[in-house]
Amino acid sequence: MASALRHASVERWSRGSSPLHRVDARAKLIALLVFLTAVATTSKHAPWIYAAFFVLLGSAIFLARLPVMAMLARAALVLPFSAVFAAMTWWAGDFPTAAVLVAKSFLSILAALTLAASTPWVRLLDALAFLRVPRPLLLVIQFLARYLFVVGNQVAHMRLAAQARGGIGKSSLSGFHAAAGAVGVLFARSWERADGIYKAMLARGFTGRFPAPQVAPFLARDVAFLCAAVFVTVAVRFAL
Amino acid sequence: MHIPDGFLSTPVWITLDLAAVPAVAWAARKAQADLESPGGTTGANTDDRRIPLLGVMGAFVFAAQMINFPVGLGTSGHLVGGALLAIALGPATAATVMTAVLILQAFLLQDGGVMALGANILNMAVAGVMMGYLPYRLWGRGKTRQAAIFLGGFFSVAISAALALGELMVSGAPLSHRLVVISGTLFVIGALIEGAITVAAVRAIERLNAGWVRPAEPVRMRSIVLAAVGAIALIGFGIVLASKAPDALESALSLRSEVNAALLDKNWSRELHRALAGLSGMVILYACLMMLARWFGRQRSA
Repeated sequence: MASALRHASVERWSRGSSPLHRVDARAKLIALLVFLTAVATTSKHAPWIYAAFFVLLGSAIFLARLPVMAMLARAALVLPFSAVFAAMTWWAGDFPTAAVLVAKSFLSILAALTLAASTPWVRLLDALAFLRVPRPLLLVIQFLARYLFVVGNQVAHMRLAAQARGGIGKSSLSGFHAAAGAVGVLFARSWERADGIYKAMLARGFTGRFPAPQVAPFLARDVAFLCAAVFVTVAVRFAL
Repeated sequence: MHIPDGFLSTPVWITLDLAAVPAVAWAARKAQADLESPGGTTGANTDDRRIPLLGVMGAFVFAAQMINFPVGLGTSGHLVGGALLAIALGPATAATVMTAVLILQAFLLQDGGVMALGANILNMAVAGVMMGYLPYRLWGRGKTRQAAIFLGGFFSVAISAALALGELMVSGAPLSHRLVVISGTLFVIGALIEGAITVAAVRAIERLNAGWVRPAEPVRMRSIVLAAVGAIALIGFGIVLASKAPDALESALSLRSEVNAALLDKNWSRELHRALAGLSGMVILYACLMMLARWFGRQRSA
């Protein structure tokens, strides 16, 4: 949930209006997958390729007019995890692998973050539909994203109410059962909320099927972006 | 337990991504069929009416993870939720909800990698949910019910952790046997906590409304299901134990060399690599056959 709260800033960034924001989400998603594949398959004996990937990604972030330092800090959240593994590898005497592990994980998360920070999430889900992710699953994700903060706030309220009554016991059996009770109440409220949502949908004329999403046309601009991104990525991967 | 990008070797993530596709497709379709109540408003075969429920339940999983459970010694744990959802909503629905949670985390929250999404889905949304549900399916009626729910919570976390650890090892992560023992112990503790929380949470939900938890269906072909449970458990724990055994032997014989241990590790990771490749081949083959069988079944009934 902490990660969900962090998302607030990314969502604000995603509503910007830079050249990168205007590119079709499908083009950006495919570019991301090509980039991640290129990063994943790069050998550990070619540090220059990683530097070039950083420059490439940096120019995308610059093109999107995103706050560079905040983006780097956000992506650095992966570093503690990769640093542990990298330290062990280094200790085993394999410095190149250790460095590459950190570079790969940081580049990958920064690339995924750049997509999320330059694309409204509804567009991103539409792009996933283009990759044949089952539509019911995408609709579930839409509802999930919409109610994430609603249900999350409910937990915060429940916690506040419990504290106002003296808090739930610490390290005791009663505290454990109180927490289980809170999960039970949360489940009940979520179930009833879902029921209410469905009834509200019926009242607004829901027929049992969601309308098909409107697909925006793929413009020449999008084609140009996709070709350029794929060409540069592949060129860096194989030429350097 | 979310594996980020950059940790899995390319053959591993490609294999797991490919294996996750039929699993997710099957779960998504089965979830819709499962939640279909007879006498629907439209009479259509696939109705979107339950989608709000699945979405809100995904938000419930996120939010429930914020609730701290005191577990003694001043520390607290939290629910992971795979087993609870499987028991309350059925395995296919739970797998769909957990998959939705993982996709959201990978693309919007950068929690877990995009390329590692297949691995994370198989570990947590497929294996975690199935292992969380099977004990309940087998022993979820009568006296053994509480124990079955506990085992479900335990196995769902244990199998996810063991699979993640195994995948990292096969990818060549330098996990010394000491680290495997430490993380294994932590995972077992986490799994025990999840079991206890799942039991308490299911009880709390049933106290509010007994109709919210699906009763365990009577089991047909108990032996086959049991064999499946055994096989999955063996695969998961076998990977970890097998990689731990040579090191344990090594340290029992002599405590001298990290170098030898590293060499052994490398041999073992190659062996494991081969074993996992074969295994994933089998899984993919099995999934293809399943889909073929279902397709034939539909042809015949049409």
